[in-house]
Amino acid sequence: MLSRTVRIWDLPVRLTHWGFALIIPAMWYTGENGEWAWHFRLGLLLLGLLVFRIIWGFMGTETARFSSFVKGPLAVLRYLRGNHEDSATKGHNPLGAPSVLALLAAMLVQVGLGLFSGDPYDGATGPLNALVGVMTADTITELHEVFFYVVVALIAVHLAAIAFYTAVKKQKLVGAMVTGAGEKAPGVPDNTPAPWGRALVSLVIALAVVAWVWAGAPPLS
Amino acid sequence: MNRIPLRPLMIAAPLAALLAACGGGSDAPEGEEPAELELRHENFEAISDSFKTIRAQYEEGKETDIVMVAAAARDINERAAAIEDHFPEGSGRDAGWDTEALPTIWEKPAEFTAAQQKLLEESAKLLELAEAGDVAGAGEQVGPLGASCKNCHDTFRLDDD
Repeated sequence: MLSRTVRIWDLPVRLTHWGFALIIPAMWYTGENGEWAWHFRLGLLLLGLLVFRIIWGFMGTETARFSSFVKGPLAVLRYLRGNHEDSATKGHNPLGAPSVLALLAAMLVQVGLGLFSGDPYDGATGPLNALVGVMTADTITELHEVFFYVVVALIAVHLAAIAFYTAVKKQKLVGAMVTGAGEKAPGVPDNTPAPWGRALVSLVIALAVVAWVWAGAPPLS
Repeated sequence: MNRIPLRPLMIAAPLAALLAACGGGSDAPEGEEPAELELRHENFEAISDSFKTIRAQYEEGKETDIVMVAAAARDINERAAAIEDHFPEGSGRDAGWDTEALPTIWEKPAEFTAAQQKLLEESAKLLELAEAGDVAGAGEQVGPLGASCKNCHDTFRLDDD
């Protein structure tokens, strides 16, 4: 089959992706072992990556944008019925898109819960713990512990899908997420060039959000 | 350029990291875990819950239910008295058990007893004030009671921050 190497994923998408892959296990480890100083630093880094990735989903390259890969349920059904033109398209397929959204949403929920978790009299507290009452913080802490299983379940689905596409469909998904490029049918255009100015804007906004949360979310006016 | 070995590695690395620490308890010592580990854990959890109940009664915009404060203070006071039986020799972290109890508990027994005594006294003070219906006075005693929890955690419990 004829194919050519095309650019699929931009650098910010790849960096945020592998950032998630490294930080999530580290968050689990530091949480399990009470390494709270590191748990908080990594949690804020994760928050920054998430905010960046979400803004980049509106301002980034073609394959980074939600508007380019989030398809309706009909497209997902068509895809499931066997309309796989995987080599004729690039980026997330119609079925992968909701998985991406679910992973981002679950990580955001988990980080959000963590910000309010903890007890000042018993160990450490997230930066926004003081904004809620003691009983609310207690409930949020329990949710934060339980919701991690939702994150793990979604990651398991994500990894199983990659294993399936790698083993059965012989697609080099992991390689593409590392190098940014992959083999596609002739005529599939390269990804749009990365708008670096907008990457900088996304980064600045993400850092501002992290700094604001780190400061305990003071009033903005 | 052959990238094939990289792919399974990229999948395996985060998975391995996840799995690696799952077997954390494998170096536990021989024999049954002392029953005190579970007992003291439950006891401290219950103390923590009662203390939360008290703090919730003093949150902004809340009318303090002083009877509830007294009941929770009594619970803490009774549970504080039970602590002395919960730390037999060899039930600490250094013996290999999955616990945050540091060896300092047995190295500095007088200080550990004093720390328990502090919790007993501060909770007794709160109980007395709450039973007398002194909402403001009991409110001022919440801080010192919390400090007596923290005081012990700082020295005798595995540092978690």
